[in-house]
Amino acid sequence: MSEGAKDGGAPAVRVRGLWKRFGDQVAVAGIDLELPAGRFIGLVGPNGAGKTTTLSMVTGLLRPDQGSVEVVGHDVWRDPAEVKARIGVLPEGLRLFERLSGRELLAYTGRLRGLPGAEVDKRATQLLDVLDLAGAQHKLVVDYSTGMRKKIGLACALLHNPEILFLDEPFEGVDPVSAQTIRGVLERYTASGATVVFSSHVMELVESLCDWVAVMAAGRIRAHGPLAEVRGSAPSLQQAFLELVGAHGRGTTADLDWLGGGTPR
Amino acid sequence: MSAPSGVSAGAPSGTSAGVSAASITPVVVRLKLSLLRNGLRQSTGRRAAFIASAVLVLLFAALQLLGLIALRGNGHAAAVGVLLVAVLALGWAVMPLFFPSGDETLDPTRLVMLPLRPRPLVRALLAASLVGIGPLFTFCLLLGAVISVAHGTAAYVTAVLALVLALLVCVALARAVAAANIRLLSSRKGRDLAVLSGLVVAVGAQLVNFGAQRLGSTGGLAKLDPAADVLRWIPPASAVGAVDSVSAGSYGSGIVQLALCAAALAGLLALWSRHLTKLMTSPDGSTLQAAEPAARERGSSGLARLLPAGRTGTVMERSLRYVWRDPKTKAAWVTSLAIGLIVPVFNALQGTGSVYFACFAAGMLGIQMYNQFGQDTSAFWMVALTISSPRDAYVELRGRALALLVITLPYATLVSTVTTGLLGAWQKLPEVLGLSFALLGAMLATGAWSSARFPYSIPQEGYKNVAPGQAGLAWIAIFGGLISAALLASPVIALTIWLNVSADGDAWTWLLLPVGTAYGALITLLGLRLAAPRTANRLPEILAAVSKG
Repeated sequence: MSEGAKDGGAPAVRVRGLWKRFGDQVAVAGIDLELPAGRFIGLVGPNGAGKTTTLSMVTGLLRPDQGSVEVVGHDVWRDPAEVKARIGVLPEGLRLFERLSGRELLAYTGRLRGLPGAEVDKRATQLLDVLDLAGAQHKLVVDYSTGMRKKIGLACALLHNPEILFLDEPFEGVDPVSAQTIRGVLERYTASGATVVFSSHVMELVESLCDWVAVMAAGRIRAHGPLAEVRGSAPSLQQAFLELVGAHGRGTTADLDWLGGGTPR
Repeated sequence: MSAPSGVSAGAPSGTSAGVSAASITPVVVRLKLSLLRNGLRQSTGRRAAFIASAVLVLLFAALQLLGLIALRGNGHAAAVGVLLVAVLALGWAVMPLFFPSGDETLDPTRLVMLPLRPRPLVRALLAASLVGIGPLFTFCLLLGAVISVAHGTAAYVTAVLALVLALLVCVALARAVAAANIRLLSSRKGRDLAVLSGLVVAVGAQLVNFGAQRLGSTGGLAKLDPAADVLRWIPPASAVGAVDSVSAGSYGSGIVQLALCAAALAGLLALWSRHLTKLMTSPDGSTLQAAEPAARERGSSGLARLLPAGRTGTVMERSLRYVWRDPKTKAAWVTSLAIGLIVPVFNALQGTGSVYFACFAAGMLGIQMYNQFGQDTSAFWMVALTISSPRDAYVELRGRALALLVITLPYATLVSTVTTGLLGAWQKLPEVLGLSFALLGAMLATGAWSSARFPYSIPQEGYKNVAPGQAGLAWIAIFGGLISAALLASPVIALTIWLNVSADGDAWTWLLLPVGTAYGALITLLGLRLAAPRTANRLPEILAAVSKG
């Protein structure tokens, strides 16, 4: 945590006692967390750990049952619109206007955010260019591939130059070429001092991109801090993660003793 | 490559949170227009369908407008106008339930990431909903309604107000209902419901038809007046009522009626705004589903314990589950069940029917045996992998036929009993039942055979029931099948006719029940036996055919 002070003290995100239940199931069970500004932050955890739920509550997309969230000093749930103006979000489900072309989507998103039209079009051209979407800018989003959808979603999230960018599984189902493009844009964005928070369950990716991580399992934060601190003495983040979530030595017992041996039935 | 200015450090450009309504309303309206235009751009078929429906709707609207203007001065003009507007409002209320995907701007969850406050958002979305064929049609009808009742300057002024208010109430009503139901609509079950819309339209048209017949036979427009007396106080029909009141000189009533309409608009907008806010901060259907507790897992349902063991029971259980869970299969079944009941029973109620119409139930449900494998779509490979002999194929087909019979036999019996009961022709019940069962057997036999010979795919997405390029195949399968089924059932039909026309045949018509039942059973078994080897030999071809689309 001491390193967070290096950027001037104020955390980018401050979460206090955050809870969310869906029926009987507790998705997020009391999270306290401070994310330092100006870092490339990874939120890691197995499927169902509560990463998406947490990110949704932090970005004002899902109302928490309990707890408070502050983003760049503003209470998210007291004034969601104020916070939404300062952040960019690439949500998991990614509901876009399917029957707009990529360029139209950017044009409307920027104008709905209150940016001047000429500026929106200028930025859109550059983003489409950098993200390798210039060739597909007049195609309808409904015809985009998964990688293209993530890229156009990222462009929408970056269009207003947010202070913090939240990305939920940005590399899920994305081809290696698109992934590299997205990576390049993100690295450039953080190099300028902005904050990126992204969730993933691919440890190698988090290890190579992030300098600060928070590990989630079963709705709680298991560890957080600079990458090297969380990794500790383990050879890789993957190993450290498996130990943290207690997934070692599972499933090697007498189950499945009928499997193999070459005699079907 | 120049660095995009947007992707560099600095103060965010969008810091002025809560963009003002004045600036987003035109953007949202243009967004709606772009979505409309792009939807048409996508395919020529869609464009043709859109233009055709637009022309039809506008023609209809123009005719209605002319008709209403012609009614001007008629004593019942107000009643007609009020009722039409009430029916129209009802249409607006139910429309979003059945056509949820028709309008993307109707789904505010796509705007959640933007810093928009509820009030400007509601205003902008309301303005955008005024764009489209529906609002145009509504406008024409409202225009006709107010023209038909407005007399005098005061009434004209009221008419303009009434027109605007009523139109806004209709649109806000649709939006409020949609927002209140969007969680339902974005879930799987909700979309299943939408598939049934065709049925609702069909049954509704049937009801309107019967209603119109009644109306025509018992006294014309005067019949409408009592209903209109109530509806003229209910928004948005009260707007037309207001114009009528003002025309008649009762300004007080007119103002109250207009105020009612305005209050309704305010209420609907408040409701919509509240749901919108809730909606944008609550989990959508996908999140809820993912979070559903795993406690619902059951080893075997109660249904499974009643069914025979082995492949037969497994196939029956899966078929029956699909009737309930697969939207396309469910829609087909519900339509068949409804038409199978409506045609004989409504006709009997009208006193115009024949007991033999009861065979409709068996016939409509028998159609479900056609294209059995098409319902599996590409998942048919799982079935194909487990069929290694004609015997396996026979058991598979028999299981599907049995699943169908579990529903059809009691249903056809019920419909036959009700129909004969309504017509007071109890002595005809045995022959109607026998005929139904023989027909059902013939359809199961031909259905099994054509499932193997003429399979075609049923696309899961959209409203189409046939994949592109397979329409011809589907027609051959269904119509060829129906004709052969009729031919196969002809011995029993001939016997029925003979017993009915011969001198003392009436005494023997009860024989048709055992004969028809036995004939139906026999022919079903034969059909399954014939279809089984074809199925077993043609597995790759069937898989290829049902995997299309």
